[in-house]
Amino acid sequence: MTAVQSKPDTIAAIATAAGQGGVGVIRISGRGVSALAVALLGELPPARHARYCEFPDAQGLVIDQGLAIFFKSPHSYTGEDVLELQGHGGTAVLQLLLQRCLSLGARLAEAGEFTRRAFLNNKIDLAQAEGVADLIEATTAQAARSAMRSLQGEFSRTVQNLVAELINLRMLVEAMLDFPEEDLDSIDTSRRDAQLALISQQLNLTLASAQQGSLLREGARIALVGQPNVGKSSLLNCLAGEEIALVSDVPGTTRDVVRQEIQINGVPLHIMDTAGLRDSQDAVENMGMARTHQTMQKADLILLLCDAGQPNNIADDEIIALLPKNLPMLRVYNKLDTCPGLTLTDSSKEIAVSAKTGQNITELRLKILSLVGWRDMASGAFMARERHLNALQQAQLHLSAAQTARDLPELFAEELRLAQTQLSSITGAFSPDDLLGEIFSRFCIGK
Amino acid sequence: MDFPKIFDVIVVGGGHAGTEAALASARAGSLTLLLSHNIETLGQMSCNPSIGGIGKGHLVKEIDALGGAMAAATDEGGIQFRILNASKGHAVRATRAQADRILYKQAIRRRLENQENLWLFQQAVDDLMVENDRVTGVVTQLGLRFRAKTVVLTAGTFLSGLIHVGQSNYPAGRAGDPPAISLAHRLRELNLPVGRLKTGTPPRIDGRTINFSLLQEQHGDTPEPVFSFIGKTSQHPRQLPCWITETNLKTHDIIRGGLDRSPLFTGVIEGVGPRYCPSIEDKITRFADKDSHQIYLEPEGLTTHEFYPNGISTSLPFDVQLALVRSMKGMENAHILRPGYAIEYDYFNPIGLKNSLESKHINGLFFAGQINGTTGYEEAAAQGLLAGLNAHLQAHEQASWCPRRDEAYLGVMVDDLITSGVTEPYRMFTSRAEYRLQLREDNADLRLTEIGRKFGLVDDARWQAFETKREAIALEEQRLRKTWVNPKQLPEVDAVRVLGKQIEHEYALYELLRRPAVDYANLLTLPGAGTPVSDEKVAEQVEIQAKYQGYIDRQRDEIERALQYDEMALPSDLNYREVRGLSIEVQQKLNQFMPETVGQAARISGITPAAISLLLVHLKRGFGAARTGQQAA
Repeated sequence: MTAVQSKPDTIAAIATAAGQGGVGVIRISGRGVSALAVALLGELPPARHARYCEFPDAQGLVIDQGLAIFFKSPHSYTGEDVLELQGHGGTAVLQLLLQRCLSLGARLAEAGEFTRRAFLNNKIDLAQAEGVADLIEATTAQAARSAMRSLQGEFSRTVQNLVAELINLRMLVEAMLDFPEEDLDSIDTSRRDAQLALISQQLNLTLASAQQGSLLREGARIALVGQPNVGKSSLLNCLAGEEIALVSDVPGTTRDVVRQEIQINGVPLHIMDTAGLRDSQDAVENMGMARTHQTMQKADLILLLCDAGQPNNIADDEIIALLPKNLPMLRVYNKLDTCPGLTLTDSSKEIAVSAKTGQNITELRLKILSLVGWRDMASGAFMARERHLNALQQAQLHLSAAQTARDLPELFAEELRLAQTQLSSITGAFSPDDLLGEIFSRFCIGK
Repeated sequence: MDFPKIFDVIVVGGGHAGTEAALASARAGSLTLLLSHNIETLGQMSCNPSIGGIGKGHLVKEIDALGGAMAAATDEGGIQFRILNASKGHAVRATRAQADRILYKQAIRRRLENQENLWLFQQAVDDLMVENDRVTGVVTQLGLRFRAKTVVLTAGTFLSGLIHVGQSNYPAGRAGDPPAISLAHRLRELNLPVGRLKTGTPPRIDGRTINFSLLQEQHGDTPEPVFSFIGKTSQHPRQLPCWITETNLKTHDIIRGGLDRSPLFTGVIEGVGPRYCPSIEDKITRFADKDSHQIYLEPEGLTTHEFYPNGISTSLPFDVQLALVRSMKGMENAHILRPGYAIEYDYFNPIGLKNSLESKHINGLFFAGQINGTTGYEEAAAQGLLAGLNAHLQAHEQASWCPRRDEAYLGVMVDDLITSGVTEPYRMFTSRAEYRLQLREDNADLRLTEIGRKFGLVDDARWQAFETKREAIALEEQRLRKTWVNPKQLPEVDAVRVLGKQIEHEYALYELLRRPAVDYANLLTLPGAGTPVSDEKVAEQVEIQAKYQGYIDRQRDEIERALQYDEMALPSDLNYREVRGLSIEVQQKLNQFMPETVGQAARISGITPAAISLLLVHLKRGFGAARTGQQAA
């Protein structure tokens, strides 16, 4: 076996504190940095020169613009090749950019990993090293708390179930490999395939439901309904007003639905303005209504705009009766400036704003984001969750490879092992001895 | 008296670990003494008469690649050879042989007696001489004092051995052999981490009383597989079949009826037994819904009628043993030649060992085999070879060696032992090896012969055969990489015949060989593919390497990352309580295990990446992470 040179992989993370601050920095370190820079920026910037560039996504659409600085090994914080991307501080933008870096081959840095590398490469002197232990301790504790938060509830249960199913399958496969002489019930290939398909399917579902990424990429659909003249368009402008990528009118496919796209904190929202939604005897208009109703079924959230001056309006109730019942709905009372004394009965489903004065618009934005499933997490929590999703994605890749290799048992087993190694990063280590334990408790092994 | 000669290495014990240890040490050039209580039982197979199997066969091939005796002796004594998992991929295929006990023992004995630098002496060892935490020699039953620079202990199940049959028990090392009581007491005084394990063996049957006409016959493979890389089928003695019978409901009733007199179920046996080699009473209790268990009747040799009924290891009272044996098909009149028994013995938790198998507490003292809590001849022999080599290296003031987890099953085993310790007898399985696809039987020689040669373990004949083979593989691989097939010149009919369909663009033969459905022999029938190599083993190796290439390349990153940490030594006097930020649990664990490298520390269960970071910081502050000098490769 030839001696191999050590090759630490490439890591990336958001280096600035969480929040909506002005500048956000993503740091990438490792041997793959120059390749990543070329893929992202089209070229490797000259070392230690700040360069203003665009940061595009995989489709070439610009995520953000800012400065890129390349530090060549060993003249960098970690002692490895380092690329720093300085962009705008908004959480969503930074996270999109980070995801882009991850999709280009970097992996999320572990807590304190940049510092650890700096340290291993003798970039930190003894005095500095004193502080490093504290830092690692602190970041580790924080990361652990974040990981716990990410792991609570449904997500955790689903992942645990997944792992249990995977262990079950691995147990059958490994038992066949290690104990060919035992008269084990040989694995039924159709059962094996079904089991694998089931695990794969569950994994997909988990990924789909847990992924903020898809929300960031594809955005959410919001149906805006209400009587005429309650101020729908002024509210729309107001919502979109302070954002970078501004309102662009997209003509609807029918005259009944007008689509517009705005961004809130970087999350794209497709607003379907259903101007004509009201009860009508007109046959033509009724056909249009049916289509409107169909469109609304695809929405992630319905915003029902009412006049704060006319709460409990009967026309609003008629509209509600026409809306799909299974979708989340937020009732927005506009024109709060005209009747400041309005009291709300259920603040989780209602909010009062003024598009004219801007009152409560920030709250409305946050409420919309929260209702479409966007969790504006502290970056630590985001990182933890992102790490878990990353592990799920990797596991998924191995499961599909297993699918291809299913008639070659040792390769099938290898892919399953790798899938589980990925999941273990979420649920905790599972050793070969644990697996053997499962086999011995299930099968009567030993002649 | 003091024995007039001072040795480099003394090996205590003449089982599979002891004999490989003594042979390796002497082969490498150390003046070596092998002490056994009985020279007649050197190389004795004390349990089942077979060598190899999944995981174990892999170890035997590695021993062979390092010049050891086990594979070659099996080729001389084997009476049935099979390849297990032959229908599955090469990584999980393994050789298994039934061996004639007497022929096997003779083959080992002949090697010992003819080994240069090796002295044999028959005396039980009662005591170790230790001065200032360093072993200086051993004292035998007669009071003879033998001095040496290093000592390898391979005491097997003999340390305070206690045999159980039903409710009676008596001290013994193995059926018919005395236990090592004084030595066990002495070792307990040295304050090493000692524990108690249990293993068992079935009653042996007189073949003349078995009705084979009722039983299913199982033959070896044709052509006969060979164990050693330089072995030949022509070395094999006459081949014999095995026979298969099975337990039935009546057998199970008999066993259940005897459980109240079972030392296992009445709490007399305290030692932990292996889960993968349970006694028959254990099996029918834990898997009560199973109506029947297969029992293999394995011949013990060409010159004996004795049969080993694999699958009914038991410590039930003799009357129950007799009834349960006779309840099985073909065994109605069976005569038991030797009763089955369970044996409890002392072992030393291997977390007290370095990866050279030297004790962390007593310098120059090496442990190998069942004394470390493993089971199986193959596991013992592999450790023996490594301990013997390292005892030799230390006696010559050279750095120790242990293969890494990605280099050998031997490396996996030692690393598992020292970083996880032992709570039940440890046996090798391929699922223990994360780099299973590259740790194959077929490439054990390619993985280890070169390093074995460097240490003087590999003789000229083996080395020449190896070099020829290695060169031929490299040449043929190069040729296949450079030979291109062009779709324009490849007749459709040939493409379909060999590859399933016409190729879309030009391919090197090597790329085509990587396809799962393409085999070497067939590929080489393509027009312009050239002449296939004549050596089957070479062709096979080229093909296997091509098939696994992608997977093995992918593992390289993982291996490299592990390697970084494995090259960082941890001082042996490091007090983990002083490492800032480590949790109490982690501190205690590290203080208990005293890992030699950061890599070992990271593999101890419960040691987190954050703990490793803190450890690195601590090293930087106080000690500085040194590179180990032990990796001689």
